[in-house]
Amino acid sequence: MHDRLDISMRANHVFFWILVIVALVFAAFASFSGDVFYLRLATEALILGGLALSIDILLGFTGLLSLGQALYFGIGAYVSALVLREEPSFWLAMGAAGVSVLLAGIAGGLIANRVRGVYFALITFGMAQVVAKVVYNSRELGASDGLIGIPVIEIPLGLITLSAGDPLGFFLLTLVIIALLYSVSAYLLGTPFGRIIIALKANEKRVPYLGYSTWAARMAAYVLAAVIAGLAGALYPMLRGFVSPELLFFATSGDALIMVIVGGAGTLAGAIWGAVILTMLKSVIGSWTEHHLIVIGLIFMSAILFMPKGIVGMLKPFVERNLLRNSARQPKPEPERTAL
Amino acid sequence: MTDIMQVEGLCIAFGGLKAVDGVSFTAERNKITTVIGPNGAGKTTLFNLISGALKPSGGRVIIKGKDVTGKGPAALQEAGLARSFQITNLFFEMTVRENLRLAAQRLEPVRQALLPLRRHGRAADKVTALIERFGFAEKAHEIVAALSHGEQRRLEIAMCLASEPQVLMLDEPTQGMSHGDTEDTAQLIRSLTDEVTILLIEHDIGLVMSLSDHVVVMHQGRKLAEGIPAEVRADSAVQAAYFGHG
Repeated sequence: MHDRLDISMRANHVFFWILVIVALVFAAFASFSGDVFYLRLATEALILGGLALSIDILLGFTGLLSLGQALYFGIGAYVSALVLREEPSFWLAMGAAGVSVLLAGIAGGLIANRVRGVYFALITFGMAQVVAKVVYNSRELGASDGLIGIPVIEIPLGLITLSAGDPLGFFLLTLVIIALLYSVSAYLLGTPFGRIIIALKANEKRVPYLGYSTWAARMAAYVLAAVIAGLAGALYPMLRGFVSPELLFFATSGDALIMVIVGGAGTLAGAIWGAVILTMLKSVIGSWTEHHLIVIGLIFMSAILFMPKGIVGMLKPFVERNLLRNSARQPKPEPERTAL
Repeated sequence: MTDIMQVEGLCIAFGGLKAVDGVSFTAERNKITTVIGPNGAGKTTLFNLISGALKPSGGRVIIKGKDVTGKGPAALQEAGLARSFQITNLFFEMTVRENLRLAAQRLEPVRQALLPLRRHGRAADKVTALIERFGFAEKAHEIVAALSHGEQRRLEIAMCLASEPQVLMLDEPTQGMSHGDTEDTAQLIRSLTDEVTILLIEHDIGLVMSLSDHVVVMHQGRKLAEGIPAEVRADSAVQAAYFGHG
């Protein structure tokens, strides 16, 4: 029989696979009907899913509430935009964004990990607001207008070359990258290192007596989350052709946090589901009324009251029960077969 | 050398109160040394000083000849010391096996840290052995929060053993246990001395006298007496302070 944590992670994979299948079916329909708008919107949803994923690593596994995760998403987006304006290379942009958020994550972690709980939440919020305001006031970074005029890039992928301007192609590429970020996160959380991260959330005070530094473990989780947010952010200017300071502001962090909670904290797949559902709702409700924020707010409140574990969190026990039953059945030998 | 741990003149004060005031003793290898004393005598504070939860304001802790005074709990774990807690301190949302796996994973080489959890190998074998030895075979996949109090106390001890320490500090391991569970736990603790040196805090005087090789009596932060159980029991100062009515 497997550990519950392994079963739990495998249940997350089930929900992630469903998402992938839904995405592929949607992509087939969209390309068949020649749609551009919804493919672009869905790509944005997946990119925001990467940001939500990074929040879930902190909130759902490490037990840290970050209110400023958009900081790293925004840094990834800006670095990517700056690189693309000089040199339209996908890999260079991703690499530069990855290294930048790694360094930014270490710097931010050194500051934020000095404190816990509410203070951690506030300091992450503060750091993001400070950097957002600095960007907002820096003419070199386009100030309040952001950076525009990012060229449509060609992305060499070994055998084929894909254009970021091709809605279907870029949607599929984004899906692959988000799947990679999801897989890396899920993999790491399943290792002994990941178990320590999960132990931090379960009972941080006990962890030092297992022989581990809680500071180092928290720091590692924080930097990992920063890199994931930043790599997702790096895709943003390729999709939209611009970046703006809004990407760094609390509205972005807060939205992503809502995605995690609606989808289900501590489920990884739920974060991405939450991003897809919320982006979709925003678009649908936005086409009915311009006061869509009120509706989103109400949805968020009812989700917390009636579905505190989020959508995936609520459905997960059923999947887990099935997986448990299967894994309990497997190791037993089948006596009838030998009799035959 | 049979001394595995020396405590020399440990001190700490909270405000004006000297909670632990110049306590010294030596723990012999593979023996059970018990710290007793009335409530508020400073036993748990002494444990916190030794295990790195608190930094002493004076004195030294030496394990296997190495000065580990004031090192944090993680460093002390490395030095071969593990401790349990008076108030059950486990990963309650995880299963018994997951708890033990966490405690045992230090046995694996560091390069395993980013590789998938191994189904075999030192840590996994240790977990399997502990589950067997502590009678958790039926409950290996139970969430710890769902265990009985006695089972949780037992798991506390198993958790400490998982990292194969040389010194094991148990803070009231039988706290709140039924009489039968207490007996079982006493036997278990006795059986552990083949592998580890035990430092114990215990309230149950009967248990202390039957289990301990060496007893340290604390009173108002100071060491009042020490010796083999019979000596301590006969000491008039101890009788006055601890056995009270006399």
